[in-house]
Amino acid sequence: MALTLPRDMGDMIERGFDRRLRLAVTGLSRAGKTAFLTSLVNQLRHAGLDARLDLMKTAREGRLLGAQRIEQSDLSIPSFPYDEAIEALSLSPPEWPRPTRGISELCLSIRYRTALPGRALIKAQRTLTLDLVDYPGEWLLDLPLLELDYPQWCERMTRLQGPARRAYAADWLSAVQKLAVDQSVDDRELAELAAGYAETLKRARAEGGFSYVQPGRFLLPGDLEGAPVLQFFPLPGITAEDRVRLSRLPAGSLYKTLERRFEHYKRHVVLPFYRDHFRRFDRQVVLVDVLSALNAGAEVFNDMRMTLGDLMKSFRFGGNGTLRRLFSPRIDRLLICATKADHVTPEQHPKLLALLEQLLDEPIKDLRYLDVPVKALSLASIRATETRTIERNGQRQPVLYGTPLDEPGDQPALIFPGEVPDRLPEEAFWHRQGFSFSAFRPLPHRDALPHIRMDAALDWLLGDKLR
Amino acid sequence: MNDRRSSSSDTRLRPPERFDATDEVPQHDPRPMLRFDPDTDSQPLDETLPDGVESALDRALARPRRRRWGLLVLVGGALAVGVAQSAMQLVDAWRLGEWLAGAWGALGVLGGGLLAGALGRELGKLRRLRRHSQLREALIDESPEPFALCDRLRRQMGLADDDPHWRAFTLAHQQHHSDAETRTLFAHHVLAPRDRKARGLITRMASESALMVAVSPSTLLDMGLIAWRNLYMIDRLARLYGLELGYASRLKLFRTVLANMAFAGTSEFIADAGMDMLSMNLLERLSARAAQGMGSGLLTARLGLRTIRLLRPLPFEENQAPRLADLRRELWTELKRLDRDGRATRDGDG
Ligand SMILES: Nc1nc2c(ncn2[C@@H]2O[C@H](COP(=O)(O)OP(=O)(O)OP(=O)(O)O)[C@@H](O)[C@H]2O)c(=O)[nH]1
Ligand SMILES: [Mg+2]
Repeated sequence: MALTLPRDMGDMIERGFDRRLRLAVTGLSRAGKTAFLTSLVNQLRHAGLDARLDLMKTAREGRLLGAQRIEQSDLSIPSFPYDEAIEALSLSPPEWPRPTRGISELCLSIRYRTALPGRALIKAQRTLTLDLVDYPGEWLLDLPLLELDYPQWCERMTRLQGPARRAYAADWLSAVQKLAVDQSVDDRELAELAAGYAETLKRARAEGGFSYVQPGRFLLPGDLEGAPVLQFFPLPGITAEDRVRLSRLPAGSLYKTLERRFEHYKRHVVLPFYRDHFRRFDRQVVLVDVLSALNAGAEVFNDMRMTLGDLMKSFRFGGNGTLRRLFSPRIDRLLICATKADHVTPEQHPKLLALLEQLLDEPIKDLRYLDVPVKALSLASIRATETRTIERNGQRQPVLYGTPLDEPGDQPALIFPGEVPDRLPEEAFWHRQGFSFSAFRPLPHRDALPHIRMDAALDWLLGDKLR
Repeated sequence: MNDRRSSSSDTRLRPPERFDATDEVPQHDPRPMLRFDPDTDSQPLDETLPDGVESALDRALARPRRRRWGLLVLVGGALAVGVAQSAMQLVDAWRLGEWLAGAWGALGVLGGGLLAGALGRELGKLRRLRRHSQLREALIDESPEPFALCDRLRRQMGLADDDPHWRAFTLAHQQHHSDAETRTLFAHHVLAPRDRKARGLITRMASESALMVAVSPSTLLDMGLIAWRNLYMIDRLARLYGLELGYASRLKLFRTVLANMAFAGTSEFIADAGMDMLSMNLLERLSARAAQGMGSGLLTARLGLRTIRLLRPLPFEENQAPRLADLRRELWTELKRLDRDGRATRDGDG
């Protein structure tokens, strides 16, 4: 406590003058967080030179002077791998940055000329310090755990298993069904079963594309790898009604052990994230990869919808949510983005946005009700295609020109990737057609990274602080 | 009314019908992916419209015409008859060798021609004014081709293809920009410089008319002066936004501005008036003439601001519109300075 106080106070003083902003970026795995932050830093570094930031007011008015990286404020968080990402993108042929895991941070100092008439006399040039934080959206999925006890959680997890998911969990299920709640277990057996459970989550995520994976840390354990706190799992068949009966079991029983670890996980893994990080964010970006979810089909798409609904609960702390009671976060602006908009032709962007808004329909309504300013955008952090037109049957056909990633030969292609539905497609559609939005290799770049609407994102996130 | 009802009950009501749901409802599935030979001839996605879209645009912009045919026939007929009569007179005169009558005839033909030309130009200018406001409405509504509309606006405003402001806009504009984004960029690059000029003009005209009234000896002269200055200002403002006004269109615009001022949100008007009164109280120490000048200056300023709002192809964004309060302050300083100088000289004289 004594250690964190000065940091918070320094924060507070700087923030009192609005000179410091903590901007967090999140999204489910592979949503494009690393690409977003890399592009954001890159655009600000190139601001005023070759970055195309016309939709950002400060830049349009020529008041944005540039940005420099400075030492991050929280030295205990790993640094965001900006240089590595740029290096990968500058290879020939260029490559996407490598997947990252866990939380990372980077700090920028932005210089700009103020447009406020009175202040011009005092100091025309001002700086804004921007802390950028990247953390996995899966961590936010653990928030609902704080309101559940172990039997409730088990019940919920059992309910979640659809046919496709159960296929991934078959082995683990048959192993765990041999256990009895009151038997005593040894640690090694428990560790094996927990590893089996983590494995099912990983497979559902990687092979099936499912995003609702709880507990979130089982996918990216980081330095908790192998620690007993991550060695628990839901017991199938237990419901909330069994609570009283089960609570009479001896302390060494399987049930009691799992319950203890579950509670420990809540208290020592979930809570600290909200206490040490989440509470301090000023603005939040949530990235959603709508197109990949469309590719994967109906079950995955609906799974993502539910995941996002739960994930967004973390930002709904207005009323008397768990979070408000515990920490009172201070996020005052929210940006929701459909990423990888360069996978479709420009005339599809409004539909992509409409679909995103449909997907997040309920959470957005709640946020509007709580008066949290929220904006939705379709963007591409790093544009990997060019838009062209071709003549076809006497009609103009917009197409993308880019190098598809998942094909041999690495040859550029002209593709019309198909239309994006502007509402959630009905069941029958998935059987009829389905989607195939392909991934592209990044374009070679010399100057600022090409992008779509990063400037609009920057304007919403920083515009009011750069006046 | 009664007639109608009885006649409609004569015609039989349409009986309910059922359609085959699977046949009738077209399925709007998103189109699937298409792949093309990489060697296919492809162009950069440009903004020029394929044929057909332009005409659709025209149709969307066109209003149902409401011509005053009676008036047109009357004026046109009178002109034609007059010219014909003069021409006949000319022919007669030439045959009979009556030079004086011939000269009158020639003058008549010339006069008729000039009048017709002037009328034609007036009508043209009126049409342009109407087109201007139509284009404006089209831009406010969501439009399918924002860039094409901006381009039309450019032509309407008489800007060349290589006008620096327009060039800046085209450089900033990208294919993926939405309507709203395109509009923001257009407002920033093309309109904002004109707004600044317009504002400067209004300030100048307002203080000029304030001064004129302050020093003019008679009320009648005041009124004339104000009317003249204000019309002149509206003219200049219109030209700034790319409109050349004729007599008729100027009067029409003037009328619209006045009507607009009268019906502008009452609250706004009251707020304005309240502030005016307040500044009038501050004016106590000014002489009565200077106070009158202030009043007419404020009127001019308000008229100018209204005109801009009517003429500007895009409505102002929030908080971007020039405000009366700023103009008032400038006017007030100007007048006070002048009044002090005036008193000083008068005191020196006396
Ligand atoms: N075309 C295109 N592809 C993108 C863009 N952003 C991300 N991608 C693709 O999405 C993949 C994942 O992007 P990342 O930025 O690594 O995503 P992430 O959220 O950081 O992923 P994790 O670190 O694994 O959680 C990349 O490898 C790209 O293939 C974009 O703007 N355009
Ligand atoms: Mg990452």
